[in-house]
Amino acid sequence: MFFHIVLERNMQLHPRHFGPNLRDKLVAKLMKDVEGTCSGRHGFVVAITGVDNIGKGLIRDGTGFVTFPVKYQCVVFRPFKGEILEAVVTMVNKMGFFAEAGPVQIFVSNHLIPDDMEFQSGDMPNYTTSDGSVCFGAWLPLALNFCIGTIKDDFLGVINDPGAAA
Amino acid sequence: MSGEEEENAAELKIGDEFLKAKCLMNCEVALILDRKYEQLQQMSDDPMNQVSQVFEKSLQYVKRFSRYKNPDAVRQVREILSRYQLAEFELCVLGNLCPETVEEAIAMVPSIKTRGRMHDDDQIEKMLTDLSLIKKFE
Repeated sequence: MFFHIVLERNMQLHPRHFGPNLRDKLVAKLMKDVEGTCSGRHGFVVAITGVDNIGKGLIRDGTGFVTFPVKYQCVVFRPFKGEILEAVVTMVNKMGFFAEAGPVQIFVSNHLIPDDMEFQSGDMPNYTTSDGSVCFGAWLPLALNFCIGTIKDDFLGVINDPGAAA
Repeated sequence: MSGEEEENAAELKIGDEFLKAKCLMNCEVALILDRKYEQLQQMSDDPMNQVSQVFEKSLQYVKRFSRYKNPDAVRQVREILSRYQLAEFELCVLGNLCPETVEEAIAMVPSIKTRGRMHDDDQIEKMLTDLSLIKKFE
């Protein structure tokens, strides 16, 4: 699930960057350091949308570096256990399949796929029910459990819309 | 991702920080990331080089799984769902998955029933109907 939250970070800047563009350099460094990272608490930082406040810089003892506390807004992707979301299947094999939801990779094991779905190997490996009626190699809603997913629940599995192949 | 005390989105146990945070539907994220990408395009000729893989994958994902593309429709979805005393998280899951029946909605967001605000299946039905109307007229 995507959230828009405010985070805070202490940025260290070398004195060679001081000057009229100090703020721009700080923001650029923030973006470079933080965007694309992932933490257990906040999930993936997808994009920084704005900088709220840059506090007073503090010179560090022993070095010439200055630390600025920066408060910024960003979009994060933080999956939760028990969350239902849509994902794109990326790889299918007899142990189960891998899917991607945004930046996060999910594995759905054989054991968490309904029993009436069987693995079919071949050019386009997939899982099909015995009467051939339901088959996915495309996208499906899954329930998240520490990025292990399951489709063994009501309304999980194939999405009704006819879809493009993964 | 961090094994916190019984984190469980089905019961809306997602921690105070995220319960109070602004939750975004895929269609809203698509608008934000698009805007950011355009800004990057104006500032350099090679925006793809500047964005992280996380950004790229997220942008691809939200564009693919946005049920509503029109910004006015997106606003309407949020406005309609806001009338129904839902937590932000529940609102966004419904806006993302657009369940068609009441059973589907309850299966996807069990907390709407357990939290005791929407006892009435009729209310849920009305909400889903309102949602589907936006899709029709988008």
